[in-house]
Amino acid sequence: MSIQNLNTFDPFADASKGADDDVQDGLVHIRIQQRNGRKTLTTVQGLSSEYDLKKIVRACKKEFACNGTVIEHPEYGEVLQLQGDQRENICQWLTKAGLAKPDQLKVHGF
Amino acid sequence: MAEDEAFFDPTVKKKKKKKKATFDVDAALAEGNDNLDGNVISGENESAPTAEDGDDNNADIDLDFTKQKKKKKKKPFNTDDLESALNEVKDDNATNDGGNQEDELIEDDFDLDFNKLKKKKKSKKKDLDEIMAEVDEKTEDKENVDDNSTTWLGSDRDYTYEELLNRAFEIMRYKNPDMASGKKQKFVMRPPQVVKIGAKKTSFANFTEICTTLHRQPKHLLDFLLAELGTSGSVDGNSQLIIKGRFQQKQIENVLRRYIKEYVTCHTCRSPDTILQKDTRLFFLQCETCGSRCSVASIKSGFQAVTSKRAAMRAKTA
Repeated sequence: MSIQNLNTFDPFADASKGADDDVQDGLVHIRIQQRNGRKTLTTVQGLSSEYDLKKIVRACKKEFACNGTVIEHPEYGEVLQLQGDQRENICQWLTKAGLAKPDQLKVHGF
Repeated sequence: MAEDEAFFDPTVKKKKKKKKATFDVDAALAEGNDNLDGNVISGENESAPTAEDGDDNNADIDLDFTKQKKKKKKKPFNTDDLESALNEVKDDNATNDGGNQEDELIEDDFDLDFNKLKKKKKSKKKDLDEIMAEVDEKTEDKENVDDNSTTWLGSDRDYTYEELLNRAFEIMRYKNPDMASGKKQKFVMRPPQVVKIGAKKTSFANFTEICTTLHRQPKHLLDFLLAELGTSGSVDGNSQLIIKGRFQQKQIENVLRRYIKEYVTCHTCRSPDTILQKDTRLFFLQCETCGSRCSVASIKSGFQAVTSKRAAMRAKTA
């Protein structure tokens, strides 16, 4: 049996881990932006950096039949960007793939 | 688009008129859904055409017409069920409880008990006779509950969920007669007036008015709207909000609903009678009704993708 007091404890362990998703509670923000005309963009921010976003975007592009990209942002880390209004699709897909729980998803926009 | 809105409006009004008496904030909280929901419901609305009398501005909007619609539809047979169930309870009480509970359970299968009780409250508004009848029933009911408890004492069996729930609600209603009579504070506000300006801009005409009804700083609501919609905008000279981009009334309604859920209604008691204070860089929601105080999320616009022409941006900066 080990004595807990003697264990080394890194007080910054979780701080360094949660640095790249801007929010403290690990929410995945799904936003929509209007472009010219009826066109829209869907952005997914806050996915954990443990996942390979490039693979995710590749799967999403195929699944939703839209184009998409991964954008590196100094503050928000890697952000998924998909063409068109994919908010419903991405919500379902993320929960189905087990990348995020439904209560972690936060959908913004109208 | 215009036709859509025109169709959407009258139904809204219709519902408004009908449902003025009901309390909505809880439904608003429960809602949080998309316009899909609203569309479906409005589609099945029964008698829309009469409402096109253009009192757009005067009518008050309920925040959530959808839920109430559903509730209302279910009401009639439910009260019947309830009464019959109560009668059964009375009749069979002396003999044996097992049978009638099964009946109750079967009747309740398709509907949550919670709803049922709510409906009961609402139906009371219908007419005085019913009220009196129900009051009588309730008193009898209470006796019933007591009887039940005494029978339970003897029989040493487990209580069913339904029994306990009924009992809890009976006690609740007995202690708070105000709540039982459905006099909860309703939260009614006018619909946002959203008008297109040209091809690329939208005007939110009664923006400041809505801010005053919500008792919020225009700046706070403005920040929220712009962050949620992911656009830019400003309040112009005659106190209307000009937003870049094309938005419809129902879309703005959705965002407003979300704002109210997060920043206006108390998270504990759902009362809209709250004050938003800024305290050490955090916003706190102080409830005037129940006195609770909780922090609310700060407004962040988050990641914004580049949607304008990059060449134009480069020309501007260079």
